[in-house]
Amino acid sequence: MVTQAGFGNHKWAMAVDVDKCTGCQACVLACQVENNIPLNTQDRFERNRSMAWIRVERYWEGEFPNVKARFIPIMCQHCENAPCEPVCPVFATYHNAEGLNVQVYNRCVGTRYCANGCPYIVRFFNYWEPVWPESLRNHLNPDVTIRSRGIMEKCSFCVHRIRRGVRKADSEGRALEDGEIRTACQDACPTDALVFGDLKDPNSKVSEMKKSDRYYTLLPALGTSPNVFYLAKVDEDREVAHAGAEGEHDDGH
Amino acid sequence: MASLISSIRERNKKTPTWLKVLVPVLAVGGLGVVVVTAALVAFVVTGWLGQPVPVLGFDQTFDQPIDFPHTVHAGTGQLDRDPSLPELGLDCTFCHRTVTTQANAGVPPVQQCAFCHQSIGPESNSQLQILRDHAGIDGSDKEPINWRRVHRMPDHVRFVHEPHIRYLTANPSAIGNAGSEVTGAASVEPSMVCSTCHGDVAAMEQVKQVEPLKMGQCVDCHRDNGAPTDCAACHH
Ligand code: HEC
Ligand code: HEC
Ligand code: HEC
Ligand code: HEC
Ligand code: HEC
Repeated sequence: MVTQAGFGNHKWAMAVDVDKCTGCQACVLACQVENNIPLNTQDRFERNRSMAWIRVERYWEGEFPNVKARFIPIMCQHCENAPCEPVCPVFATYHNAEGLNVQVYNRCVGTRYCANGCPYIVRFFNYWEPVWPESLRNHLNPDVTIRSRGIMEKCSFCVHRIRRGVRKADSEGRALEDGEIRTACQDACPTDALVFGDLKDPNSKVSEMKKSDRYYTLLPALGTSPNVFYLAKVDEDREVAHAGAEGEHDDGH
Repeated sequence: MASLISSIRERNKKTPTWLKVLVPVLAVGGLGVVVVTAALVAFVVTGWLGQPVPVLGFDQTFDQPIDFPHTVHAGTGQLDRDPSLPELGLDCTFCHRTVTTQANAGVPPVQQCAFCHQSIGPESNSQLQILRDHAGIDGSDKEPINWRRVHRMPDHVRFVHEPHIRYLTANPSAIGNAGSEVTGAASVEPSMVCSTCHGDVAAMEQVKQVEPLKMGQCVDCHRDNGAPTDCAACHH
């Protein structure tokens, strides 16, 4: 492969500390605003066509009155071995040298094979042309392409923020610092449950968190080796509780 | 020979009139089809390679609210109006201030034009009068000038000036359309690299896009200079 300046020197990853997640949904909203995601109107929601690049799933554990609510934020897992990639007939989604699962909107022809291939249900199809009320027009993020009808979209790990951070460090002639690049969801999280960083930097926060004995990934049996990993909930009742592994999923989140 | 001509005349007399009319009509019509097809092919081919030929509103230049001449302000020759006066030779970054630091080059605010033009320039110049109106010099309301964009990437492309200016000033060999002032210069100023993608703007009465600025051109240069060719660098 041709070496690309500023590419391949990092391996982006996100750690989600489920123990710290309070299910407040701030990340969902921040993501919605940052990435120009169309408004999820009631109509779209009822037809099961609402979009959320990151969602907080809620599970109930136990019987009343001893119930516990469990929360787990789920976004594109940026799998190293992604089921969505080989099924795309036009290579609109691929894995780049920095561990991102990239979606090239202008390349996408909307077959939706990728969404069908994804076991995490984090890919969303634009069934309609996105519209915003006039009052929100100037709130759109100019750094993020607006996806038109017929195109697949999903969490990009805020790639525009990554590029901006890398460029800033380049122009100042220094190395990138850990924690300099933050995703929108991470910025919004009040409890720092989401941590973004570079796994190639052995001293980065994510690298440290990856060594935790609470470490686990979603659906490991599928062998997707995601770049998003989770730290299990600390629970006095159980040794290691895998959030979401048990309990009944409440669809009406 | 004479008999040949007379035999043709003989035959012509026998040709029915409708055929005599139809043949030239068909000939002209056929020619018309060829011309139209050629024009269409030329349009598509030039459009594919760069800018389509400027017909049917596919122009590369627009009527701006004010006929702002880059020649007068950024050129280094003599003024057309009065050849004894020099052109200003202003640095591009004097007006396009954020080109070295940000994604957008930026266009100067009216106040910056007014800084000079509240005293400079002939009273009678109608274009300058529009400027004075916008700047509120004659007591009118201040109003920004609604310049029209000439270079515009499609919505799905992210272009950033800053890394390009940084790289090209450090690596002058990659500068395209370079004039003699670049090849001979001891150090490369930011304003010397703009020609790579914009041509010689200082010599343009009206700015127009001279480079195709299609994906091929971007990626060719990126590949040659070790810049990222990953789709996510330009499309996200
Ligand atoms: C550094 C001072 C300076 C600044 C800043 C400046 N100009 Fe000028 N401009 C001049 C001079 C000098 C002339 C030539 C006047 C003459 O012909 O005598 C001129 C000429 C013009 C003319 C008339 C050209 C012609 O001959 O028809 C227009 C229109 C104009 N400027 C518009 C602008 C606009 C718009 C801006 C802001 C983007 C601007 N200028 C900023 C100095 C300036
Ligand atoms: C006096 C201020 C001034 C100076 C100096 C100046 N420009 Fe401009 N430039 C403008 C204004 C105002 C516009 C918008 C009007 C237009 O497009 O003609 C503009 C437009 C442009 C555009 C087109 C932008 C678009 O819409 O795509 C380019 C390219 C450009 N300038 C390049 C240059 C370069 C290169 C130089 C240096 C040689 C330069 N400019 C010097 C004021 C200036
Ligand atoms: C590598 C190619 C390249 C170089 C070098 C370059 N530009 Fe541009 N420029 C572009 C492209 C592409 C656009 C359209 C950007 C868009 O639509 O997002 C543009 C747009 C502009 C615009 C109008 C929009 C804006 O960003 O405000 C101005 C003004 C401009 N350039 C000025 C300059 C000046 C001045 C220089 C030199 C200092 C320069 N450019 C160097 C490619 C280049
Ligand atoms: C003259 C050569 C040249 C041309 C033409 C050119 N680029 Fe670049 N570009 C570069 C170089 C060199 C860099 C890397 C600068 C650095 O960081 O050292 C770069 C960097 C970039 C970056 C930043 C990548 C990052 O790290 O995030 C983007 C985005 C970009 N170019 C887009 C474009 C687009 C879009 C076009 C076509 C309109 C284009 N470039 C045309 C040379 C060029
Ligand atoms: C250096 C910047 C750059 C890179 C890297 C790049 N592109 Fe592009 N791409 C562009 C530009 C600029 C255009 C717009 C060209 C035009 O105006 O027609 C474009 C246009 C396209 C289009 C056409 C869209 C349309 O509607 O016409 C597709 C498809 C595309 N790119 C796919 C890709 C894919 C896939 C990759 C990765 C392999 C990629 N691009 C990498 C700059 C880039």
